[in-house]
Amino acid sequence: MMKKFLIFSLMALVLASVLAACSNSDQASGEDSDGDSDVTTLRMTWWGSQSRHDQTQEIIKAFEEENPDIKIESEFTGFDGYFEKMAAQASGNNLPDIMQQNFGEYLNQYADKELLADLTPFVEDGSIDVEGVSDTIMESGKKNGKLLGIPTGTNALTAFYNKDMLDEAGVDVSDGQWTWEDYEEYTTAISEATGEYGARLMEPKNLFEYYLREQGKTLFNEDGTALGYEDDQLLVDYFERNLELEEKGAIPNYDTIQQIKGVEDELIVRGEAAFDFRWSNQATALDSAAGDKPIGMTLLPGENNSQGMYLKPAMLWSISENSEHKEEAARFIDFFVNNIEVYKIGGSDRGVPIKEEIRSELSADLSETDQKVFDYIELVTENSSPIDSNFPPESSEILAELTKIDELVMYGELSAEEGAEQFRSTVERIMSR
Amino acid sequence: MIPKKKEEIHETVEPQHPAKKPKKKKMKPVPPNKKLNTGNQNVTGYAFISPFLIGLFSLTLFPILYSLYLSFTDFDLMGTPNWIGLDNYQRMFTEDPTFWKSMKVTFFYAGVAVPIRLVFALLVALALNKVVEMVGLYRTLLYLPSVVGGSIAVSIMWRQLFGNDGAFNSILATLGLPTHSWLGDPDTAIWTLIVLYGWQFGSSMLIFLAGLRNIPKTFYEASSVDGAGPIRQFFIITIPLLTPVILFNTIMQVIQGFMAFTPSFVVTNGGPVNSTLLYVLYMYQRAFEYFDMGYASAMAWVMLVIIAIFTALIFKSSEHWVHYESDAK
Repeated sequence: MMKKFLIFSLMALVLASVLAACSNSDQASGEDSDGDSDVTTLRMTWWGSQSRHDQTQEIIKAFEEENPDIKIESEFTGFDGYFEKMAAQASGNNLPDIMQQNFGEYLNQYADKELLADLTPFVEDGSIDVEGVSDTIMESGKKNGKLLGIPTGTNALTAFYNKDMLDEAGVDVSDGQWTWEDYEEYTTAISEATGEYGARLMEPKNLFEYYLREQGKTLFNEDGTALGYEDDQLLVDYFERNLELEEKGAIPNYDTIQQIKGVEDELIVRGEAAFDFRWSNQATALDSAAGDKPIGMTLLPGENNSQGMYLKPAMLWSISENSEHKEEAARFIDFFVNNIEVYKIGGSDRGVPIKEEIRSELSADLSETDQKVFDYIELVTENSSPIDSNFPPESSEILAELTKIDELVMYGELSAEEGAEQFRSTVERIMSR
Repeated sequence: MIPKKKEEIHETVEPQHPAKKPKKKKMKPVPPNKKLNTGNQNVTGYAFISPFLIGLFSLTLFPILYSLYLSFTDFDLMGTPNWIGLDNYQRMFTEDPTFWKSMKVTFFYAGVAVPIRLVFALLVALALNKVVEMVGLYRTLLYLPSVVGGSIAVSIMWRQLFGNDGAFNSILATLGLPTHSWLGDPDTAIWTLIVLYGWQFGSSMLIFLAGLRNIPKTFYEASSVDGAGPIRQFFIITIPLLTPVILFNTIMQVIQGFMAFTPSFVVTNGGPVNSTLLYVLYMYQRAFEYFDMGYASAMAWVMLVIIAIFTALIFKSSEHWVHYESDAK
C-alpha cells in the first residue's frame, strides 16, 4: 500500500512538473492565444528588483483600464539572465512586443542585428508624444540614424552613503567635492570609527569607465575598435586603490560581494558599508530596503568629477522588429512617457521622467526618496559631460573579462600590473576575432 | 518489430499449402491484398509510435546535426550563420585560456565527485541490504535527495547552507570551530559542489541495491561454511558479482559528471575566479551571454567526443574486470 501510494504521488509530481513546464512555454510563445479578435495581447519584458516588478504590474493595470482593447502579458526577471533569455527569444524570432532595453553594448548589439523597430514614424505622427524632451536625451535612443528606444528616464552614477556612519567618523561629502584621496581617507576613517566597511567594493564595469573619464580618457576609442586609453597605469591605479583599502579592512573582498543577491541585500542596506557607488534609479530599491537608515546621494569622487559624471538613459523602451502589434506597443510607450499615474506609481525607479511637464507636475507631491533623486539628477545635469556610446558589440564579453580580472587581482592571483596587462591583451584578442 | 514478425508469419504460412495453390489460381489478388494489409498494420504501428518518432527527429536528431553545422559557423543567435570552417575549434584549443580552465575544473570535478558518489552509493546499498524492517521507508528517504537533487531549489538551499552566514558556518561557530567563506574561497568552492554531487547518490544506490539482491544467498552460506568472514566475502563474492552493475553505474555517472550544470550555475555561477566554471556552464556563457553560439556548439561537440572516449575506455577496460555469470562456465 505504502509503496503504491508513494509511486502514485511521485508520478503525480512528475506529471505536475511536466504540465507546469508546458504551460510556461505556452506563455512564452503565445502571442495571440486568446481567440478574442478585438483584444490585442502584447508581450512585454523587463528586468528589475521586486519593487519594480510590483510597480510595473500596477502601471500595466492602469494602462489596461484606459485601453481595454489591449492586454499585456508580462515576463520579468532580475538583470542576471534577462539578456540571455532575450537572446534565445531573438534567435527564435520571438522577441516580445515591448522590451526594456539597455543603453550601451546591448542597444548597439540589437541595432547591429536590426532586431528593433525604428520608432521615428511613431514619434513623427505623434502616437508617441515626446514633445519638449531634450535632444541629448532622445539622442541616446538613436543608433545608425534610427530611433530604437525611448528613454524611460534619466539616470546617473551616484555615490550613495549612510549619513549616520559618515557622521560617526566626522565626514561630510554632501557637496560632491571630494577627491580619490579623500575617498581613501574617509573609507578608512569610517571603518575604523564604526567597525563596519567604509565602502562596498567598486564594481569595475561602470566604475573603471567612470575613472577613465574622470582622468580624461575613455574605455573605447571613437570608432569602438580598441581600448580608448594607452597607459595601463590607469588600471593599475584603479586596482591598487582597491587592494590597499581591502588590506586595511576598509572595503570587503569578492567573497563577501558574491553572497549579495540583489539590491535588497546590499551591504549599505544592512548598515555594513557606508558608501556604495551605483545607479541613481536604484535609490528607490535601496531606500525601501534600508528602512530608517538615512541614505544620501552625491557625486562620485575625483578632482574632475564633472568630467567623469554623465547622464544616461536608465533604460529604454523598444519595440521589436518582429512584433505584429507595433502600433499598440507604441501606445503603451506613449502612456509610459506621458501619463503622470506612471510616475506616481513607479517614482524614479526607471529614472527621472524625461518630460519637463511631468517633472514639474510631480514635484508638488514627491516622496522623500524621489525628491532626493530629482535633486541629485539636477546636480549632475550641471556637473557632467556627454555620455560615451562607442561600445563595440563585443563589449559585454570585454566587461565580463574586466570583472574576472578584477576578481583575480583582488584574490591576489594576479598583481595589479599583470591584471592591467592581461586586460589589454584579452581585449585585443577579443576584438581581433 | 511486431508488424515485421507478422510478415514473417505470412511468408512462412504460404509455402505450407503448395498443394492448394493451383486451385486458388483465381484468387491471386489475395496475396497483394494481404501485403497491403500488413502495410496498413505497419502504418498503424508507426502512427502509434509517431509521437516518439517526431520528438526524436525534430527535437533530438535535427538539433544535434544542426549544432554540428553551427560549430563551423560564427552564428551569434540573431544573425545568419556564416561558414568559418575550423576557426572555432582552432580558437578553442589555441587562444582560449578560459576553455582550458573550465576543462581542468570539469575533469577535477568529475574525477573526484563520481568516485565519491559511487562509493557512497555502494556503502548505503550494502547497509540497506542488511536492514530487514521498513526497508521501503529507508529506501525512499535515502532516494529523496536524488529526486529533488538536480533541481534549482536544492542548489539554492546549498548556497544558503554554505553561505557566510549559512547553517554550516553557524554549526561550526557553535562548536567553537573556525568558520570559513566556503563559497567565496577559490580553494573550497568546488568542494561544496562535489559534496552536493555525492549527496545525490540515490539512483546509483537503488541500482546497486537491486544488484545486491540478485546475488544468491547460497554463495555466502557456502563460503561461510568454508570459513570466510564478511570482509572476505565482500571482496570475493559481492564485488565480483556486482561488477556488471558497477560498470553500468560508472558509465552513467561519468556522463552525468561531465554534463553537470545546475550546481555551478546556481550555487556559485562559476566563481570565485572561475574555480567552479564547469565546462557546460562556460558553454552556456559563450552561447547566451556572449552570443557566441557557433563556438558553444563546437564546445558541445568536443565534450561529446570526450565523453565518447571515456565511455569507450571504460567499456574496453571492462573486459578485464567485469565478471558476467553467463560466461563463467
